[in-house]
Amino acid sequence: MSRCDFKIVLLGSEHVGKTSLVLRFVNCRFNAGTPYQNTIGAAFCAKTMHSNGKDFNIGIWDTAGSERYQAMTKMYYRGAHAAIICYEPSCLASWTRLRHWLQELRTVEEDCRVYLCATKKDLLDSGAVVREVPEDIVATYSQDLSGHFVTSSKTGENVEELFQKIVDDCAADVSVMKNVEEMRVKLAKEEAALKAKNKDYCFC
Amino acid sequence: MDDVLDEVVSSEDLQKFEKVFHEQLHQGKVTHKAQFEYAWCLVRSKYPTDIRKGILLLKELFNSHPEGKRDYLFYLAIGNARIKEYNKASHYVKSFLEIEPANQQVLALERQINKRMEKEGLLEIAFCSSDECRCRRSSLL
Repeated sequence: MSRCDFKIVLLGSEHVGKTSLVLRFVNCRFNAGTPYQNTIGAAFCAKTMHSNGKDFNIGIWDTAGSERYQAMTKMYYRGAHAAIICYEPSCLASWTRLRHWLQELRTVEEDCRVYLCATKKDLLDSGAVVREVPEDIVATYSQDLSGHFVTSSKTGENVEELFQKIVDDCAADVSVMKNVEEMRVKLAKEEAALKAKNKDYCFC
Repeated sequence: MDDVLDEVVSSEDLQKFEKVFHEQLHQGKVTHKAQFEYAWCLVRSKYPTDIRKGILLLKELFNSHPEGKRDYLFYLAIGNARIKEYNKASHYVKSFLEIEPANQQVLALERQINKRMEKEGLLEIAFCSSDECRCRRSSLL
């Protein structure tokens, strides 16, 4: 039985690329051939990461950005240690909506760390799209948050860095780590109890 | 909470959406949204009776609201897998993949369902053989 040590949720308007970010991080690939499919409800992915000489299981809930699911996706914020709010620098609407996502998150998880993530950096770099969200506004806004990363799921740029920063921050947090250790002890006990119980059934 | 099949709805959330659904039912007009949200909670409940109720509500939506078909198929698959109706769950997954063959979320769900079928199939064999052992043992005694 392996449980997640850290829970991370992804928020942001639809079509900004939350799922592509997770798939790049977990599978190390970007599938340019797949047509856009909006996420149903929330999808889950897990990965083991290393920080400060220890291994951690990371559980990621990739929530749907579509309005249709909003009442429900809020449930997935609960218990999150960190949240990544995504926006597209070339889409002002996705940035103005960011405040809404942050508020939604805060009503459920007040103390959760928040990281801003700009997506589709490759399109900005190549000049395929024009930046609509001024950099100084982003800089001011992200001051009060735990970090800001400009990523490309296509090239993989800054994706690993974003998740590594989250895990390092969580691993350095004494109160979070206390909970993680307690949970691990509890699970080990449960597992031992289950093993002992199964032993009784074996007559061979 | 290791995957979408393990995740459980909290009772407060279930009650919240149940209330909305029942209020609308009382007024004689239930919206697709309210019914879907309630069904979504039900199929994620830890009680099989809730899950079965959720499946019924989703089937009703599937037949009456074609725009939401992919959502209903997805949660019908989850609900059935959670009450170990794996053949039905696989059927819904296959219907979904006919429309969107490359959907990562559904392909992942299919893998989880297969994994569970395999695991529980093997468990059954293990139980049978330990029963056999027991029988042998008692006949020896």
